[in-house]
Amino acid sequence: MVLLSVADLEVRFHTADATVHAVNGVSFELEEGETLGLVGESGCGKSVTSLAIMRLLPQPAGRITGGTVTFRDAILTELPEDEMRDLRGKEIAMVFQDPMTSLNPVLTVGEQLTETLMAHRQMTRQQARARAVALLEMVGIPRPATRLGAYPHQFSGGMRQRVMIAMALALEPKVLIADEPTTALDVTIQAQILDLVRNLTADFGTAVILITHDLGVVAGMTGRVNVMYAGFVVETGTTAELFAHPRHPYTVGLLRSIPRLDDTRHEDLVPIEGQPPDMTVAPRGCPFAPRCAWREERCVAENPALEPVVPGTPIVTTGPGATHRAACWYPATDEEARHGAPLRAAGGAA
Amino acid sequence: MSTSDGALLRVEGLRVYFPIKSGIILERHVGDVRAVDGVDFELRRGETLGLVGESGCGKTTTGRAIVRLYRPTAGSIRFDGQELAGLEGEALRRVRRQMQMIFQDPFASLNPRMTLGSIVKEPLTIHGIGSPKEREGRVRQLLEVVGLNPGFVNRYPHEFSGGQRQRIGVARALAVQPDLVVADEPISALDVSIQAQILNLLERLQGEFGLTYLFIAHDLSVVRHISDRVAVMYVGRIAEVASSRDIFLGPLHPYTVALLSAIPIPDPAVEARRRRIILKGDVPNPVAPPPGCRFHTRCWLRGRLGNPAECEAVDPRVRDLAAGHQVACHFAEQVDGSAEQRLVTGRGAPPASSPA
Repeated sequence: MVLLSVADLEVRFHTADATVHAVNGVSFELEEGETLGLVGESGCGKSVTSLAIMRLLPQPAGRITGGTVTFRDAILTELPEDEMRDLRGKEIAMVFQDPMTSLNPVLTVGEQLTETLMAHRQMTRQQARARAVALLEMVGIPRPATRLGAYPHQFSGGMRQRVMIAMALALEPKVLIADEPTTALDVTIQAQILDLVRNLTADFGTAVILITHDLGVVAGMTGRVNVMYAGFVVETGTTAELFAHPRHPYTVGLLRSIPRLDDTRHEDLVPIEGQPPDMTVAPRGCPFAPRCAWREERCVAENPALEPVVPGTPIVTTGPGATHRAACWYPATDEEARHGAPLRAAGGAA
Repeated sequence: MSTSDGALLRVEGLRVYFPIKSGIILERHVGDVRAVDGVDFELRRGETLGLVGESGCGKTTTGRAIVRLYRPTAGSIRFDGQELAGLEGEALRRVRRQMQMIFQDPFASLNPRMTLGSIVKEPLTIHGIGSPKEREGRVRQLLEVVGLNPGFVNRYPHEFSGGQRQRIGVARALAVQPDLVVADEPISALDVSIQAQILNLLERLQGEFGLTYLFIAHDLSVVRHISDRVAVMYVGRIAEVASSRDIFLGPLHPYTVALLSAIPIPDPAVEARRRRIILKGDVPNPVAPPPGCRFHTRCWLRGRLGNPAECEAVDPRVRDLAAGHQVACHFAEQVDGSAEQRLVTGRGAPPASSPA
């Protein structure tokens, strides 16, 4: 069953001297219990998309200028703020990259956890405290009853992220949005946290939106993935299909530009040429065209829609049978994807 | 350590401690952060040594001590036959002409009030290289070498993207034609699509100018790609040193094995069949490192061997286990590196329907 639906979402940031076109018509759906990756580089709109879903865009600069977000039958983009506040944490919860800035430094971890439980669950202080101890234990914090009295700065980075996960899951939300949850952590700690997220969300049946720039994390954690570039979803599909048969030149570029730990042949890296896009310029044509090795004249003028890579395939938007779609006029072939560059004469089709 | 005549740099018993002071008027010395606590390695001319480890392991401090941005607390740093550890003043400046550093953060390591041209020219001026006119020419040539438009000499750092700024940092490091370049996380602040541009640039420049690199990074995939040899650090010590190939195909230190198993591989088929060793707990505090082997508090092998007392009691020395393969573990013989590695990378497991 589809839980969350994002349709034609458009987000702008208005600053004194420019308008940032952060999200430019993003659509996707999330069904119960699935894990969706949003992958892309800084500025691609992946975090802004999640903040827009939560209606937590920085004010007053950030505004949803188009599209809708629907959770079950509630249209989040139209919900009054008090109803939205009630829904945050209870139905959709979020874990951020830097746990230090998302925990209140002057309250103990126990106070922050019990506050949530008492506000949303009408628990007594004692009940909330008992539940908080159980939650900290669940996320693997040693001596949880004692640690309730500790302040965030008394925890290590990995432990703080465990506390954040305990808070996010405290109300057993249907959707967990994890925005780069392990980017600030060391790799052995990242492995612990990802393992925890994987196990807990499976136990609770929580659907997850995992936002990351790390293709390795996406490969290990998600069932489905949206690749984002310049505020657009440029390719989507099941993780297995998308990694095995990437079609969009940007996805191909990402996969060929990072070294792999298990590469035994020392393959040359194929960098993506050029620079990240200037988001203050209104998009025209394909956003990736200026950096694309497959570029043709048409790409500069017309922005392709997200269409099935096998033309005419009926579109399934969620789950393990999701349709592989790409927004590209001249998608890469398997051979080109392995090579990392076009293998065709200029002028169009392969 | 094995001797070799090709060593450009030999580090022995390097210690860098940062004192912890307490009290406002009468500062008392209450302890030390033992950032680097007895490190030995050598760097051969023309090679790339990767120095990896997690935050706080001492890899950056080691790099900075070598170019003498920090004064070593103890130990020896011999560069091209000359001892650097106690060097000061003019003598140190002369040596610095042969060793340069590339920093992690291309936003913080360039003076925002200096133009691109003056940033790249500064090392030439400091070391008195060439006439003013020759310097101008050299700057333009350097910019071309690193792939920047020489017409940009009058622009300021804020006008450049992260990747371009890192190219400026590379040009500045190469200005004085150094022998050794210490690159401290040179790509980790950059976007994924830009990282390969800088990695390829560094590889090309090494070939062109015969550079020796000490490449410091936390990302093992990157280190494996660029390094000839790799040194793995843990809490101020070296745990394992070997050729890049041996570290990745046959790691012998239990920490290296766990570290490799924790690196995500961008291939869902491999991710699905590999096994992870999830280490318990956090990295120990370098103010009070654990006694004995520093890894014993988190070691998965120790548990498997029935918690031998030796790990807690005796500090393991770095031992030669194979040609050019050194390990600091009492029980490294118990680690079947290639078998462990097959498990953690999913190699050798029944092939799934994965792409090439």
